[in-house]
Amino acid sequence: MRVVIAEDAAVFREGLVRLLEDRGHQVCAAVADGEALLAAVAAHRPDVAVVDIRMPPTHTDEGLRAALRLRADHPETGVLVFSQYIETRYAARLLQGNAAGVGYLLKDRVADVAEFTEALARVAAGGTALDPEVVGQLLGAGRHAKGLAGLTAREREVLALMAEGRSNAGIADLLVISAGVVEKHVASIFAKLGLPPAEGDNRRVLAVLRYLEA
Amino acid sequence: MGGPLTAAVAWARAALLAPLSRRARSELLFCLAGIPLGLCLIGVLVWVMAFAALVLLISPRSDPAWVTATGVAVGALSAILLATRVARRLGAVHRRLAARLLGTRVPAPPPPERGRGRLGWVAAGLGDGPGWRAVAYQVVKLPLAFLEAYAVFCWAGGLVNLTYPFWWGLFRNHPPGVTLDPVPAVTPFPGRLLQIATFPGTFLALGVGLAMVLAAPWVTRAVVAVDRRLLVALLGPGRLALRVRDLEHTRALAVDDAAAQLRRVERDLHDGAQIRLATLAMHLGLARESLAGLGEAAEVSRARELVDAAHRDAKQALGELRDLARGIHPPVLDSGLDDALATLAATSAIPVELACDLPERPAPAIETIAYYCAAELLANAAKHSQAGRVTVQVDGRHGRLALEVGDDGVGGADPARGSGLAGLAQRVSTVDGRLRVSSPQGGPTLVSVHLPLRT
Repeated sequence: MRVVIAEDAAVFREGLVRLLEDRGHQVCAAVADGEALLAAVAAHRPDVAVVDIRMPPTHTDEGLRAALRLRADHPETGVLVFSQYIETRYAARLLQGNAAGVGYLLKDRVADVAEFTEALARVAAGGTALDPEVVGQLLGAGRHAKGLAGLTAREREVLALMAEGRSNAGIADLLVISAGVVEKHVASIFAKLGLPPAEGDNRRVLAVLRYLEA
Repeated sequence: MGGPLTAAVAWARAALLAPLSRRARSELLFCLAGIPLGLCLIGVLVWVMAFAALVLLISPRSDPAWVTATGVAVGALSAILLATRVARRLGAVHRRLAARLLGTRVPAPPPPERGRGRLGWVAAGLGDGPGWRAVAYQVVKLPLAFLEAYAVFCWAGGLVNLTYPFWWGLFRNHPPGVTLDPVPAVTPFPGRLLQIATFPGTFLALGVGLAMVLAAPWVTRAVVAVDRRLLVALLGPGRLALRVRDLEHTRALAVDDAAAQLRRVERDLHDGAQIRLATLAMHLGLARESLAGLGEAAEVSRARELVDAAHRDAKQALGELRDLARGIHPPVLDSGLDDALATLAATSAIPVELACDLPERPAPAIETIAYYCAAELLANAAKHSQAGRVTVQVDGRHGRLALEVGDDGVGGADPARGSGLAGLAQRVSTVDGRLRVSSPQGGPTLVSVHLPLRT
């Protein structure tokens, strides 16, 4: 995987570089602000960019704005936004219209190295990786209902885990049910949301979007 | 040795040049402008008499004396009702003149209260302290206007007197034997005139004129000095108002400073402890993975346990530190109150309906207070109200910030009974905001917080 990192705290940036290189990924560039990030992505065309939200000069949301620019200008590059906090509005802005190749994780998640690299790989491959907090907030924000009214409680649970970006096997582990049962739930969710069966992986992303935007 | 002499020369020079100085000119202009403004008081008499005449005209002529008295009373009453407002306007003109011409900047008094309804309007006018002081200024300005007129007279009369020798020959070239009336010339005593009959006599007029012109700047200066004192004393904000303004200003600084301090603390945590801890957790995660591949020797599994524990602790500490930092200052507030409230609403235990209408951003300290009010009120609703639904409305139109948090729960919230409401009211009052609670037993509860947009 070819990665560009934008993070203004040097210790954390270097830690990330070490972690990714240890695992055989190529870090094309590691920069400290939004402008440099846009330039690095344009120059290297990486598979995925890891972006801190708070960066110089204002230390508010320039990382988010840079991420949105990346999403518009380089749709083929996945964007994993990384922050100490999860904010509902930021998540909504990031997911607006398209949840493919997007991630929004708390910085803490990097402590679980394997899960983190998996999430990064998913985002690079055009999937999603949303922090459980993101999913919780977007649902708490009162967006639920109409389109999802037909889903059973279990199906919603499965859908929430799909939104976090988990695979069927991962969902099966977490809910302590068999993979076959998960598959049945997933098929039923697709059917109830009216997503045609032919679209392959993209269907998961569509289901997630439907879920978050409902 | 030339010290006293030089000083005397300098003094004489200054005295001779005073009439030409810029200061003399602007003080003269101030006096000129003061004359009509000072006579405004006479306008009140005209106003009252006009009323009397009007009543006399339109009333059936039963008893003219009584009707006139009624007219005068109505006129006087209306004059009293309007006095403070008109005097304030005139006061503003005087302050502007003083600033422009004298360089004396008198700050405006605090604006009058806006009374609601007709009675409120009347009460606001009658109870307007600075307004009545402006009226007092207008009253003492009347005699002052005569003194100012005298200063102008010194200038004008003196200058005219200076011209006598120059035109005398043009008009007085009559044949010998013809007797003409003497020409009057002014003196510094209005009403006493010099009678000039001959050409040498014109030099008397010239001398008097010269004396008047030389004295005029000092007369003007004296009158203006008196006026300036009155202006500062009566048209300024008053000592108490100045003190209040001063206190308000320093309080605003303190409130802003406290907000800025908290932001700084949060940022320091974010850039320091939080990032260190995140890095530490990442490294512990890596160590954990390295240890995973090292088999099951006793020491390895002991090390693994320790690293596992450290890893867990680091993650937990990160979470706790995040909550702490958010409690100090939620960073999303930097992007705006509505963004911050959206996250607050999303993480609430009860479903929240949020509506935000903020055409302009309030000051950071105000945003912080509004945010913590909303957070506390939502937490209260979740804890005590048993409500199924909470609404949060923010309205920043009309020059103030109104935050309303309502729920359909059991009610009975009482600021007097120690809940966080009293603390909120206190916090709100640091910026002259106010908090109102309506929470009858059985509900519903509506808490409204009004804040200024600026500290």
